[in-house]
Amino acid sequence: MSFREKSAWVMGAIMLIAGLNYLVRVLSASSELGWSAPPIGMSVTFTVVVVIASIIAQTVLAVRSPKEAEAPADERERPLVDRAGNWSGVVLGIGVVTSLLHFFYHEDGVLLFHMVMGSLILAQIAEYAFRITLLRRSL
Amino acid sequence: MGAKGLPITNRVREFRERHGQMSQAALGDAIGVTRQTVIAIEQGRYSPSLESAFRIARLFGVGVEDVFGWNEDQA
Repeated sequence: MSFREKSAWVMGAIMLIAGLNYLVRVLSASSELGWSAPPIGMSVTFTVVVVIASIIAQTVLAVRSPKEAEAPADERERPLVDRAGNWSGVVLGIGVVTSLLHFFYHEDGVLLFHMVMGSLILAQIAEYAFRITLLRRSL
Repeated sequence: MGAKGLPITNRVREFRERHGQMSQAALGDAIGVTRQTVIAIEQGRYSPSLESAFRIARLFGVGVEDVFGWNEDQA
């Protein structure tokens, strides 16, 4: 397994776990307090946890394979990584448009915030999944 | 080696083995790609850039057409 694929698996797992945790917290807060629950605390916690977990995971991967970690994506990997990024952009776009349409009919700003945040998380997970699929398919 | 769906065939594996049983990782390092990319080239799942094709050929001391070929049936 290439370094880039390993990295995508680890980052995808971190994002999935943190995203599910965020979803559970949002659902729990909404059932307790209604959608007027302030979203700032949850999103800041989510961001800090993801950043710290990512730094630790990338450091561990880099220490285990320093040479591969330093090497940039090669000619086969670059277009695959770019394509995964483009497709994840589509996922993000669909999520944001859906969120805006929902806001248009329900006028719930807090829910809009969480839906956009969820779209960002989903798009990031999708990018790692696309990256793994494309890298594996070309081997 | 025949390509799998790609019109460009190659004899990279043959030349690599003739070249002192050079490993895929060593070939990758020599031409600036990953071992996975060398595997993909050898399996005919990826056609290298012109630059990499020249680097491979020059490394083995042969011409590009000695290493790479065109399969009309797959074109």
